Amino acid sequence: MISLSAYSHTHSEHGLAISVQGLGLTYKTSIDKKPTLKARIKTLGRGRKHTRIVRALDDVTFDVTYGTVLGVIGSNGAGKSSLMRTITGIIPPTQGRVEVYGTVSTLLALGVGFNPSMTGRENVYLGGLAAGMSREEIDTNFDAIAEFSELGESIDAPMRTYSSGMYARLAFSVAAVVEPDILIIDEALSTGDAKFKEKSLNRIKELRSADRALILVSHALKTIEEMCNEVIWLNKGTLMMRGNPSEVIEAYRKFVDARKSASSDEDV
Amino acid sequence: MDKPVSIYEPFHAGLPPMREYMRSLWARRTFISEFSRSELRNQNYGSVLGQLWLVLNPLLLSGVYFLLIYVIGGSSDAERFGHLTASLFLFYLIANSLTGGVKAITSGQRLILNTSFPRIMLPISATVIALFKFIPTLIVFGAIHVVLGLPYTWQLLWAFPVLFIALVLALGLSILISSINVYFRDIASMLPYMTRSLLYLSPVLYEASSLSERMLLFENANPIFFILDSWARVVVQGEAPTGAALIQSSIWAFSIFFIGTYFFLSRERDFAVRL
Repeated sequence: MISLSAYSHTHSEHGLAISVQGLGLTYKTSIDKKPTLKARIKTLGRGRKHTRIVRALDDVTFDVTYGTVLGVIGSNGAGKSSLMRTITGIIPPTQGRVEVYGTVSTLLALGVGFNPSMTGRENVYLGGLAAGMSREEIDTNFDAIAEFSELGESIDAPMRTYSSGMYARLAFSVAAVVEPDILIIDEALSTGDAKFKEKSLNRIKELRSADRALILVSHALKTIEEMCNEVIWLNKGTLMMRGNPSEVIEAYRKFVDARKSASSDEDV
Repeated sequence: MDKPVSIYEPFHAGLPPMREYMRSLWARRTFISEFSRSELRNQNYGSVLGQLWLVLNPLLLSGVYFLLIYVIGGSSDAERFGHLTASLFLFYLIANSLTGGVKAITSGQRLILNTSFPRIMLPISATVIALFKFIPTLIVFGAIHVVLGLPYTWQLLWAFPVLFIALVLALGLSILISSINVYFRDIASMLPYMTRSLLYLSPVLYEASSLSERMLLFENANPIFFILDSWARVVVQGEAPTGAALIQSSIWAFSIFFIGTYFFLSRERDFAVRL
């Protein structure tokens, strides 16, 4: 969600917004989805390791300047979400360094609403406060957020009663109504109905400006090509290519097609 | 060039940069109070008596347990009832902190995966919620104190340091169990039995002085035994707690708090990938 510092910045175009230097991220993950004592005891005698090390990012280096709309593409498990979570400080890196030169608002995969038994309003406030905003800052933005989300009176209903579309609408509104220096949107445009999707895209277009940096993570290559002026392509945690959208997307498509044909050959 | 607003680097010795962490935690103190208030509102949402349950719950609870000790032990004098209510209310401060803390991290998944904030805010909130539930019970006990004619002495001021130690213990337990539950989810299912055992092993339904020497030796291993005994001694009998009981409860409380906090902070980085 939102992470805003107490003061607002003015940024010159091409000024540095984010600097990612030699970023590496590894983490241990358990093989069982829900690690329980029972599962651990079961694996004890067999000498099987119950954790494995995942190398999510490997020596990734790039800069994002103000005025850039950066698209991030790559197949599932490429490290896109890990990269976004590292840039926003949700997961500290294992190697390297990330410098962020401005206020960041993020809309990551799960969006807003951490406590489903609380109302949309309570969740917006709690999310904002957790991210470091003051109550006054949230007060200032709340009406615009509620209006943009088109939730009407449902904003005061418990979020467990929301449909997935309503969740997505509120999440997008929270991230995009506050006008941050840097806006990061991860896969958020794939949910919601067609009308809201269009409204969201228009809002992102409005937010494109010389003193703002936008990062869009998506599998929708057409949208990336249309919205972005730079694209990076990640594969298995490494940065494969960076450049203008059409070139990078073309290379990515060729790579995916080559893998597809290789696997279909195997089938034969 | 502008100075960076945020810098993210690898942790040293498994711990986040502490000064920055504490500053960030302090800046978010409004979250803790807002979360606790919303949570309390929601717990009684839709019930006819609403927030009155915060007072009714402890009253009914002490009524039920009084019935139990009356039926089993036949004791029904005023001081016995005062001891039961005072100890039970403090016990529930610690037990509620544990029950709220155990799922503080696992149920905060959405927030943890989307926002950068000091994760320790969540188990702290669980203890604040337990404290908010405890405050009405203090008022109820105040009334019971008057009705039963329990003594008023200057020694009652000992209630403040005793309560402080109990809060440190409650917070430490909440922090510790919230991080353990990320790795061993079974602990959440075991917890009701653990708190129930703790209740029976502690001087709530009986007085500490009624235990044999052998049992008292065994109770050294119970982190809440001496704090509950000190509390009852102060608020029911109007006597100062013993130095040994205060020292022993402080050692338990601060050890659990520091070990729990160290364990939590050194593992916090893992939480976002474990949930």
